[in-house]
Amino acid sequence: MKITPKCYAQSLYESVDGKTAFEVAVISKKFVELIAKNNHLTKANAIIGEFIKIWNSEKRIVEATVVSAKEMDGETVNRLSDHIAKLSKAKKVALRTKIDKDILGGVVITYGDKMIDLSLKTQLVDLQDRMVKYN
Amino acid sequence: MISKDIIVEQLKEQIAGFKAEAKSKTIGFVTEVGDGIAKIAGLSDVMMSEMLEFQTKKGVIFGVALNLEEDSVGAVILGDFTEIKEGSEVKTTKRILEVPVGEAMIGRVVSPLGEALDGKGKIETSKSYPIEKIAPGVIARQSVSQPVQTGIKAIDAMIPIGRGQRELIIGDRQIGKTAIAIDTIINQRGQNMKCIYVAIGQKESKIAGIVAKLTECGAMEYTTIVLSGASDPASLLYIAPYAGTALAEYFLDKGEDVLIVYDDLSKHAVAYREISLLLRRPPGREAYPGDVFYLHSRLLERACKLNKEHGGGSITALPIIETQSGDVSAYVPTNVISITDGQIYLEPDLFYKGNRPAVNAGLSVSRVGSAAQIKAMKKVAGKMRLEAAQYRELAAFAQFSSDLDASTRAKLERGKRLTEIFKQDQYSPLLVANQVLIFYALINGFLDDIAVEKIREFEMGLYEYARTNGKEVLGEIASTGEYNEEIENKLRSLIGDYKSTVIGS
Repeated sequence: MKITPKCYAQSLYESVDGKTAFEVAVISKKFVELIAKNNHLTKANAIIGEFIKIWNSEKRIVEATVVSAKEMDGETVNRLSDHIAKLSKAKKVALRTKIDKDILGGVVITYGDKMIDLSLKTQLVDLQDRMVKYN
Repeated sequence: MISKDIIVEQLKEQIAGFKAEAKSKTIGFVTEVGDGIAKIAGLSDVMMSEMLEFQTKKGVIFGVALNLEEDSVGAVILGDFTEIKEGSEVKTTKRILEVPVGEAMIGRVVSPLGEALDGKGKIETSKSYPIEKIAPGVIARQSVSQPVQTGIKAIDAMIPIGRGQRELIIGDRQIGKTAIAIDTIINQRGQNMKCIYVAIGQKESKIAGIVAKLTECGAMEYTTIVLSGASDPASLLYIAPYAGTALAEYFLDKGEDVLIVYDDLSKHAVAYREISLLLRRPPGREAYPGDVFYLHSRLLERACKLNKEHGGGSITALPIIETQSGDVSAYVPTNVISITDGQIYLEPDLFYKGNRPAVNAGLSVSRVGSAAQIKAMKKVAGKMRLEAAQYRELAAFAQFSSDLDASTRAKLERGKRLTEIFKQDQYSPLLVANQVLIFYALINGFLDDIAVEKIREFEMGLYEYARTNGKEVLGEIASTGEYNEEIENKLRSLIGDYKSTVIGS
């Protein structure tokens, strides 16, 4: 059977879960030897990508991005982070912030494959659509 | 005159009433794109054949989710896919693919997505119908009982088509398949029928010609053309017949009769094969995917005749299949033959002999049969069918023997006149009453003393004569469809008068 990057990542996760740092170092060395032996070193990047996904879903970590027009202060970021944790039922939120002047104001939150668009730009477009439609 | 204050007031009201909604949307990203197919990561709650919005620099492009896999979604792109890049954002719409429908579509040339293609401005409709719909069940249906007058003598007499029937038109390229369909549409004038012509992968020049002809004949007043041209992507060709049927169902729900022509389903199958192979579905016979039968059966099953309690409307389907050098045993032709309620088989030999329309009466059938004929036609056509069958049988073996007995010779002579009568020019459909008249003349021997070369001349003259002198009886046949001794006598004397006064014999 063909071994997919997902299979590698799953087995790697299962072997390192709950081990000490020293053990992990040994396991990862062995793991690299294994994929080298199977001639799958070219798939290393895909395996790492899959591993991060599996790790995050097992540990209930959600990666989220918040785009805003201006720099946000620490408290706002924390509150947003808490809110996303509640929405996605995650234990931990790995939050990244981005600045994009184009959205004019408000925020755009993306986590997993969900998006909550609270930007001023979208609201203005919606308002325009409605006024064009009804008048 | 409205003052500006009122406008400003209203605007303020609108803006005050406008609440920004913060809805959580599902998004995905394109991981792979090419040949009109996109692979998308994300979109965890996407539905089968849901419309997807691809965000591009040139605006939103729609797509349809066709393959739902473990961690990716395969989608076809409806429209220009060159703008979609890897990493483009994709949104779900929570809507199964649907097309706008409505009265405004009549007389227009539209794309499968309902956009105007004829340059006559935007089409304003208020309703949309899903392109895939489960066909009406047994409870809602009724057996076919009313005729669709095609105006083509050979078809109306021998292969009658009823409202709600599915009749396949099959034959090689350039043999007059489209011509039969177009003649039928032209003949629906004043017959209470909406017509939809679905062009699948046709040359746009051909469609331009058809539109011009239909406009000239006044047939565009009740016709819609759904066009997916030869240069459109396979995804549009694939949805075109379903979109046409969705429009037909709109009229069906209003209790109207609809005639829909799919020109042609071979190209539709080829387009679907292209999509399937690109989506990496396994190929089967002739490289078509496994569900190519279901592709056409679910489409043609939507043709129906509904009973009174369900509105009493009907959808008559005329699918067209192009065969390769007369091979009806290829995959798609056999499939569609088995799905439809009969076929009109057009033969090259007849075509080149000059028997046009080149309908092969032996291989063509209509499984609904005479239930879909008016009484008068039923009476004369029954004998016609018999005459035609006897002639075919005799003609084959009469070539070998020179001296035949009188009755055989008479049958052969009759048969020659019959083939002559079945010849008909394109774009000249014939009224049903006139058809009854000429068939009556034939089966009762009025044509036996006319030379074969003169038959067409005689026929034209007879119609001309009947238009002034036989108005009453022809009108009666056309309006009531009845047939009795009185009508028969009138027909007899009409033809007799014509022969004695005009022909002079």
